Amino acid sequence: MQTEATPLAHPIEGRVIAAELRRLGVSHVITVPDTLQRTLITAIAEQGDPVLLPVATEDEAVGINAGLYISGHRPMLLVQNTGFFASLNTLRAIAVEAQVPTLMFVGEFGRDVTKPVSEHTSPRVRVIQPTLHAWDVPFYRLDSPADLPHVEAALRESYERRGPVVVLIGAATS
Amino acid sequence: MLQRTEAIQTLADHRGDALSVACMQSIVPWHEAQQASQGHIDATGCMGSASSIGLGLALGRPNRYVWVLDGDGSLLMQLGSLVTVAGLAPTNLYHFVFANGLYQSTGNQPLPGRGVFDACGLALSAGYRRAARYDDAATLRDDLPAILAAEGPSLIELTIEPEDGPPRWARVPMAAQVQTLREELSVSA
Repeated sequence: MQTEATPLAHPIEGRVIAAELRRLGVSHVITVPDTLQRTLITAIAEQGDPVLLPVATEDEAVGINAGLYISGHRPMLLVQNTGFFASLNTLRAIAVEAQVPTLMFVGEFGRDVTKPVSEHTSPRVRVIQPTLHAWDVPFYRLDSPADLPHVEAALRESYERRGPVVVLIGAATS
Repeated sequence: MLQRTEAIQTLADHRGDALSVACMQSIVPWHEAQQASQGHIDATGCMGSASSIGLGLALGRPNRYVWVLDGDGSLLMQLGSLVTVAGLAPTNLYHFVFANGLYQSTGNQPLPGRGVFDACGLALSAGYRRAARYDDAATLRDDLPAILAAEGPSLIELTIEPEDGPPRWARVPMAAQVQTLREELSVSA
């Protein structure tokens, strides 16, 4: 008899996360879209605060985040795991070396929520946590509604460390 | 063609209180022209990111002019940024591109598409409001007031002579400049 596997990550409502970002005073969400965060992107756009800034590449997102931070705003990034990997050199130069608080929501595109990420064959899912460890980038997980306080913790840590902090989104937002 | 230093000096003479972001081989001449002590960031170690940092500044401080001192090789590194700038359309952003067709910092190797691609054409196609190319200092000097009086985003391509000699690099850490500029802009920690 086949049994249904228990999900390890559960959907969180996009509008709930969007409201949390507004409560935390996030000013801009700079994004190259992510499949898993579709409803969050829509909720931010409908809410209007934070301002949603669509950009062409994740490299640009890191630079724009720096310019907004320098000028007194509280921006963040919303990208996909593939885009995170694409941005690594810029992240190293601007977020790490230039010490710019850089909060990144990273959707785990390609994840099977019934498996631990370490058991995935796809490197884009399996190696992101080891990559973050190697780069000394703190990360939190947003795998269920109970994890919502991780957003505030991650934002605070990015400012305390003056550097990048990642929030991994394990299941598609609802 | 322009010498880089005369182009830098011409820009310095017209800068006023514009915020500036410089990259690669324009950094040291901008410092030597006494333009880096206030309102300035060097974009170091992130080739292609100067215009994105400038875009963030321009969106964040719409009441200040923001100048980006870019290179043609750097522009190619993040060519999509032209479209992002044009889409967000900050009227206070002026994007100067020093164009010598070379990767000067790594030994003057030719750029891909050297002599073929057209930075002004790319900017206009992307949606910049204005683009213009200059290869002599007198015309640049005469036109700058009108360029700056018109709304951006504008791309101003400066055709410069190739330069010999080893690359020169800024010695001020970008992290220190980030915090200094935040303080100048009265941003609390």
